[in-house]
Parts: sequence; C-alpha cells; structure tokens
Amino acid sequence: MRLPFIPKSVLLVSCLALSVAVPWIASDYFVMMCIRVMYFGMLTLSLCFLAGELGVVSLMQASFFGISGYFIAILQTRYQIPFPIAPLVGVGVAVLFAALTGLLVIRVRGIYFLMLTLVLGQLVWALASQWASVTRGDSGITDIFAPVIFGISMEQSKGAFYLFQLVFFCGVIAFLAALKRSPFGLMLRGVRDSESRMAMLGYPVSLLRYMAFIFAAFVASIGGVFFAYFTGLINPHSVSLTTNVESLLSAILGGIQTLFGAVLGTAILKTLDLVLSGITQRYLLIMGILFLIVIMFAPKGAAGALKRLWDSIASRTSGGGPPAGGAAEDSFHEDTQ
Amino acid sequence: MNRKKWVAAITAVFFIVCAMAGSAAAVDEIRIGTIGPITGWATIFGQGCLNGIQLALEEYNNQFNGVPIKVFSEDTKADVEVMRTKLDSLKNRDKVHFIIGPSLGHEGMAAVDWGARNPEVPILIGYSAPEDITMRKATFSVVRPGWTGAQVIFNFGQYCAKDLGYKKIIIVGQDYSYPWDQAAGFIRGFLENGGEKVERIWHPVEAVDFSSIMARLMQMSKEYDAVLNNSGGAQVVAFFKQWKQFGLDKVYPQILGQANVPIVSMLSELGDSALGVYSSLHYYDGNPSQANQKFRESFNKKFGHYPDVIAVQGYDAVHVAFKAMKAINGQVDDPKKFITALRQVTMSADESPRGPFYFDKYANPVQNIYIKKVVKKDGRLMNEAVKTYTNVSQFGPYVDMADKYMAAPATTRDYPPGDKDAYFKEIEKYFGKDYVEKLKKNNGWVD
Amino acid sequence: MSLLVTMSLLNGLTLAALLFITASGLTLSFSLMRVVNLTHGALYMAGGFIGMSVIKVTGSWPMALLAGGGVMAVLALLEEKFLLRRARGNDLVETLISLSVAIIIGDLVLVIWGGYPRTIEIPAILSGIWTIPVIGLIYPVFRIFMLGLAIFIIVALWLFLKKTNLGITIRAGVDNFEMVAALGINVRRLFTIVFCLSGFLAGVAGVVGGTFMMLVVGEDWRILTLTLIVIIIGGMGSLGGTVAGALITGLVYSFATAYIPEFSLFILFLPVAVILSIRPHGLFGTKA
Repeated sequence: MRLPFIPKSVLLVSCLALSVAVPWIASDYFVMMCIRVMYFGMLTLSLCFLAGELGVVSLMQASFFGISGYFIAILQTRYQIPFPIAPLVGVGVAVLFAALTGLLVIRVRGIYFLMLTLVLGQLVWALASQWASVTRGDSGITDIFAPVIFGISMEQSKGAFYLFQLVFFCGVIAFLAALKRSPFGLMLRGVRDSESRMAMLGYPVSLLRYMAFIFAAFVASIGGVFFAYFTGLINPHSVSLTTNVESLLSAILGGIQTLFGAVLGTAILKTLDLVLSGITQRYLLIMGILFLIVIMFAPKGAAGALKRLWDSIASRTSGGGPPAGGAAEDSFHEDTQ
Repeated sequence: MNRKKWVAAITAVFFIVCAMAGSAAAVDEIRIGTIGPITGWATIFGQGCLNGIQLALEEYNNQFNGVPIKVFSEDTKADVEVMRTKLDSLKNRDKVHFIIGPSLGHEGMAAVDWGARNPEVPILIGYSAPEDITMRKATFSVVRPGWTGAQVIFNFGQYCAKDLGYKKIIIVGQDYSYPWDQAAGFIRGFLENGGEKVERIWHPVEAVDFSSIMARLMQMSKEYDAVLNNSGGAQVVAFFKQWKQFGLDKVYPQILGQANVPIVSMLSELGDSALGVYSSLHYYDGNPSQANQKFRESFNKKFGHYPDVIAVQGYDAVHVAFKAMKAINGQVDDPKKFITALRQVTMSADESPRGPFYFDKYANPVQNIYIKKVVKKDGRLMNEAVKTYTNVSQFGPYVDMADKYMAAPATTRDYPPGDKDAYFKEIEKYFGKDYVEKLKKNNGWVD
Repeated sequence: MSLLVTMSLLNGLTLAALLFITASGLTLSFSLMRVVNLTHGALYMAGGFIGMSVIKVTGSWPMALLAGGGVMAVLALLEEKFLLRRARGNDLVETLISLSVAIIIGDLVLVIWGGYPRTIEIPAILSGIWTIPVIGLIYPVFRIFMLGLAIFIIVALWLFLKKTNLGITIRAGVDNFEMVAALGINVRRLFTIVFCLSGFLAGVAGVVGGTFMMLVVGEDWRILTLTLIVIIIGGMGSLGGTVAGALITGLVYSFATAYIPEFSLFILFLPVAVILSIRPHGLFGTKA
C-alpha cells in the first residue's frame, strides 16, 4: 500500500486554513489554550533555534520574553503609551539587551554557555524583583489592556486575539524557517559542527553566533508581547529560572532541534500542566520523571518519536521505502521533495 | 519526506478533535471553584485555605437544600499567568457558580482584574490582603470575606505607641507589596498616636542570610526601642533563629510581628523563641468563643493539626456563601442577585471563629482586630488577645474620610514617610489640617 | 573599624564558609566528570531534611551530619550508576538528567516533609555567643564553627588531592582522561567515588545550612544558584578557585545586605557578569 502523495503547498495551506478556523470550530477554552501555546511557543522556538542551529542551550531566553512584557506594562500603565509604540519599544529594548549580553555570551560554548546564560537570566530576574520603583517588584504590574485593532477589541474577543497572534506566530515561524534554509543557517550549522573548521575557512564565527543570538532574542520578545497583552500582567516570574527551565523542558519533550518540536513540546507541556493539576498534586514529580525518560530514551523528543513511529509503520506497509531520514530535520517542513 | 507531512497533518487533526470536545455541564448542582497555590513554595497558603473550605462544606454535608455541591479545585502554583488560565477554565470549562480564592497578594490583584473583566462569576477572595482589591480596584463581583494588610495593623501601631510606650521602631521586612502595606498601616497608627520614628529595612523576598541585618540592628539598638519582623514563611524562621544567635534578644524586648509571623503553623517551628511576641490580626487562635473552639477541634480531628488564620478564610468564605444562598433560595445562576446577597451577609460571633463581621460598601469586612501575644498554655504555644478593637473597617480610623484615604498616594516601600514631621506634613495634604489639629488635641485616635 | 564593617566582614567570611562547603562537592564532580551536577541543590536540601529527622529521633547533631551526608552519597551513587553512566560523554544530556533528578527529588521532599519551613536546633555546645579576643566583638559561636569546618574541609580535600594516590589519580584524570584510562586504571570506579564524595559534601552542607538558616522547599534552587555563582566566578574544577569564588560571593553579599539590602540580590549577580566578561572561564578556570 503506497502512501498518498500530498504536495507540500496543499498541506501548508490546509494547516493554515485549519488554524484560522479554530475560533469558529473550537471552544473558548481551546482557543485560550492555543493562545498560551503560541506565546510560550515563541519562547521555546527561540531556545530551539539556538540549540538546533548553534548547538547551545540558553537559559535566559525568558529574559527577552519578559523585558518586552515589562516595557509594555510600564509604558501602557504609567505613561498611557498605546499599541503599537509600546510593543515596538519593548521588542527594541529586548533586542538591545541581547546585543549587550551577546558580547559576553559568544565567548563561551557548551556547558559554560548554559551556566553563563543561567546567571545572566537570574540577573534580570533579580533586577525585576528588586527595582521596585520601576517594576513594582514581586507584585508585578497588572492592568495591561490588549489593543483595539481595526475597531475590533482584542480584549473582548478571544477569537480576534487568537487571529491577531496567529499572524505573528506564523510570521515568526516563517522567519526562522527561512533563516534555517538560508546560507546563514548553513553557516550556523557549520559553526555548530566544527567551529575551528569554519574559522579556518574564513567565516566570521563570532559574528555568526552573535547574530543568531540576537535573532533568537527577537523571537522570544515577540512572545512576550502577546503574553503581556493576553494575561494583562507581568511579574518577575516571567523572567525567572522556572520559566526558563519550563521552556527547556518543552523543547526536550518536543524535540530540541526542530521548530515543529518546539511547538509540539510547548503544547504537550502546557496541556499536561492543566490536565495533571486537576488530578494530582504531584505534577512536578511526574514532569521530572517524564523529562528523565524522554532525555534518556527519546532524545529527539516527541517529534522524533512520532517520526520514528511513522517511519516504522510506513516502511512496513510500503515494502521497504527509502530509509528513515538522518539528521535532516531542519525545517518545519522539508525543503526538498 | 512525505511521511513527515502526514505526521504534521494527523497531529493537527488530533488537536482539532480535542478542541471540539467541549465541557460537560451537569444540571441541578452547585459548582464551586477554588483557586490557590496548592503546590510549590506557597503551598501552606493554598492548602490551608482549601482545608478550611473542605471542613466547612462537610458541615453542610456537601449539599445545599438537597442540591449536591461539586468542587473544582485548581492550583495556581503561585504563578499568576497559570492562575489567570485556571480562572478562565473554571468559568468556561467547569462553569462554576462562584470561586473562592486566591491566597497570595499578587494573585489577588490579578484576580480582581479578571473579576472586573468577567463580572458573571463572583469571586470570594480568600487570604489575599492588598487593600486595593476592595478599594481603588473594587469591582461589584469581587467580595472579600477576609482582610487587608493595613486593616489589621493600624491599631497595632497605636498599641505600640500608646500602650507599650515605644517611640522609635525598626521594621525589617520582605520587599514586596504586602509587607509594604503592613508597614504603612503600622506607621500611620504609630506616628499618629505618639510614636516618633519608624525605620524600614527591606530585604529580598527569599533572603538567605540575615547576619548583616542583625549587625545593623545591633548597631541601632541604642537609638531604637523595638524591632518588628515584617515577613512570612521561611524567612521568619531564619530571622528568629539569627536574632537569638546574634544575641539581639538581649538588647531589644520581644520581637513584634506582622500578621504572618506567629500563626499557628509557625509557632511549632519557632518554639519558645516566639514567647511574648506581640502581633495583631482579625483572628486569634486562643479565642475561647464556641465558634472558634468547635472550628479548631473539628479541624484538628479531620486534618491532624490545628488550623491557623489561613484556614479560617476558606471556612468563613463557605459560610458567607451559604448564608447568601439561603437568602436567595439557592438561585446561584442569577449572578447579580447572588452577589447582592453576598454583600449583605452578616456573621455573628457565634457563627465565625474570628468574631462578628459585616461587609462595608466595598465588600470588605468590618470586624474585630485583636492585639495578641504568644503565651504557653497547657504546654502548647498559642496567641492570647491582650486588647480588642471592635468594628474596624479596612480604612481603620479613616473610615469617615475614605475618599481622602483612597486619594492619598499609593503605598510604596518608602511611603508614607517614617519620620514624624515628614509624615504629618504629608497627611496634612490629603487628610487636612483639621484632622491634624484633632490628632494633636486628642493625643491620637479616639476609640 | 566601625561595628558594621567588622560584622559584615565576619558575616561575609562565615557565609563564604557555608558556600564553600556547599560548592566543594559540585566543583569536585565537575573537575573529573565535566558534568555540572544540577542535582546538587536538591541533594543539599534533602540531606538537610534527613538530618533534621535524624536529630528528632536521636538528638545527636553529629549523627545528623553523617546521616545527611551518607544518604546523599548513596543517592549520588545511584544517580551516577544507573542514570549518568548511560549518557557518558554527552555533557548536555548528563546535565539535563541531573536537572530532572533535581526536580524529582524536590517534589519527593515536599511529599515527605511538607511545605512548612523547618529548622535544625544548634547543638548546645555550639550555640551562644563568644567574645572574640583582641577585637572584643561578640559573635555567634556556630558561625565561627562553620568557618572552622570549612577550613578543615579545604585542608582535607587539598591533602586528599595532592598527597594520596587516589587524589593524584583523580587529578591526573582531570588533566588527561584518556591517558589515565589507557594506563589500566578503573576510571569508572573513580567517577563513582568522586560522585559519592560530592554527594556526601552536599548532604553535610545541607545539615549545616539547615542549622544555620532554615530548611524549606525552594531552598534547593536558591542554593544551586548561589553555588553556581561561586563556581563560575572561581572557575570550575579548581579548589583554589572555589575558595576564591566563595570568598568573593560571601563578602559581596554580606556588605550589600548591610548597606543596600534592597539590591543585594542584584549585587550578588553582578560580580559574575563582570568577571566573566574578563575571564570567561572564571578566575582560576581552565578552558579544558
């Protein structure tokens, strides 16, 4: 039995159509879940981009996520600066911060990279928590209102907010996928695989890593914009170690090297979060064990596992087709047919 | 390659199918949502309240007039974003008739925000104490059968100045809004009743080591009369420990505590170092009233340890809800009627372990405030009341000038000023010269 | 010197002592195994709680120390043997494994001991205050004890690493792993021993910390963050570096808490950022 052949464009369009249709075919609760998965998903995407292209794990992506959120909060509640200026400033500052910390961060690799970003992330958290005159400390800032766009209030209508966010979410994914596919992505992966070789070949290794870091921060900060607008608040928890670790967990669960894995992992984590907490108090224990199992036995995460499962079914039914792909899981959708 | 697209497609379909699975809404039952930090560091604030709720519901056999009650218990994990999500799911998925909770300060502020945007679901605030929930941010659907940070401490400041005769006090506290509120309330009571100066020292919420602060306190001991520990939870344990370690118990009298310091759950860990600690609250565990004794004993029987004020909040919230339901014959599906009834509930001293209370127009209780002291009775540490102030509202002594109070600048870590002259200059601006004159004439507040 | 300055100095030194005791285990496991054992904070906390329970039963503080350290050594052994070993060579996976074990242990501690803060009583002979001669300052005895304990551990570890055969082999393994293995030395067993030792130190630190401050769920992540700061500043794998890192961290934190407590947390992280921008591998760290 041969698998029916679907052209990539058809699949893309139907996925998009389904996504757009969600507010009309699904319950309010599901729409809310999708919104959450999207903004946390962007945070996870930024982590996965760095992990996949540069091979480094950053535990400070939530800082960029939170910085844009905080600026929206401060500008809107204190100075009544509306959309779109507030989010533009927020994203701008986050990118600026990435430009600054990037200078420190590009000098290290591997485990040192992880630890340095952990400490830098904590620095931002400490600032958010202690600079009470600006950030209102641990109490956080509430009363953020989502904007009114083209006369439709994002605040009143969850469906409208969902669509508004979907536009940017797809944009971010398209952006990252394009980066991955471009020569830039190729160079990044070259650096990931052998930095010395790339340096010898004359590529500006440090500059490449720096740019990648800034792009990733940019993506995370966009997630932060929607987080602030949807929840209506921001507090130091958004830039805390917990949030960073949760995005790492999402990435591992879904598959740390692919964009699809990032989103899938976020969806799994956030759904489990809600489902489990209704049943048991041992949410953390279960997540810890799950995490352990995934790391040890399914390092490519759920996306990898799904793919393996599918490959094994497909190879059995189509009588030995081409072998399961190797490390070519580089884009949301394959670049070659 | 092809297969990968199918994987994506099937995953998408799977999620869509899940999406369409709506929620089950049963008929003929009363659905209550509870929300609070059940797991994580703040678990005592969430679990305690939940225990109180469960105990109260049991007293009614988990039903109202034959209609069964279903409880949907949600965990915020002390994360406000999660709380917001859970509030939405309680409303949309579980379709609860009302919600009891949350417990933490910032949770409460976010909850009242949500309540303003979702006025069809009444919220009975549990332990959250920021005053703005029932002042500047008050909204019709949010009722608080609890307390505010300042409400329980205005009179404590008064007591320390007038009855204990202190002139200068240091407040050491965790740096976030709830302790700011407590400090502010204390300062008002203290400076307006004869006190001269209050110095505030703030430390990070999760401070690890107090030794440097102890050193400073030691240095200040010549000038200041007493120290008030303005923290909660683990920091209190560490503070008391290091207080003794550094010999500060020899230069200062007993520690003064904010509301969360000598609560029952803390006393067992603090041990004898807590003896003599003064504090103030709208509830004291040593209250000999029938309502309190019955509450304490049945709680102990059910949960194996004695309750503290956190459980009282959950307990009282349920009783308030039931009284309101009785008044409207169980028509909880008419939110407006239900909320109006809630706001009109009064509880007598026989009905609530804390004493009598009724709601002011902002839906915060007007209740007794007890100045209490930790003593040992029958080998067990407990709080006894040394003075009671009755009918205290969230505006405290400013109840006749509520608008002026709310128009005053918001409390921050440095506001209101802790120095007597600066303070009086400030209050003249919004309370008026007449008020200041009256204070001087009466030497403080008149009961 | 003013009272506050002297006190802050002493406070900083004694806090550094606790930080060193806690960080020594982590630096040991990193130097040999190149894995940042993120379980370290959880081991600290669990060790402390076990010590607390042991004291409740036996009333003996030394017993609590041994029990806390011992049980954590066993846990570390199990972690290394059954989990980390499977991921040998893959730094990132090992670190992530240790992270998940930390989450698991953290929740188990909550289940067993609950969410209320607890504390360990200071043993009678170590409690009270002492008047330091010459300066004439009064200072808690227990904190001076901690200083002594830290110095003891520094000396013991130094002797162990420099003078004993085992120690020399470990240092050889740090410098050139393949060579040591090629010489026929059972490197696996070496790993396990080192890991157990680091777990033991974590547990002991937990009991000491629980006596000096408090024990509560959440302490694991706070201590882990502090320990990482110490190690990052000092450079991983260097005993001297850990001492330097502990001193810097302890002193900075103490002075900050004395003079600008509202910003003490931020001040804590600042030295790390500064030092790392000059020397990305810490003061005494090596790139290896």
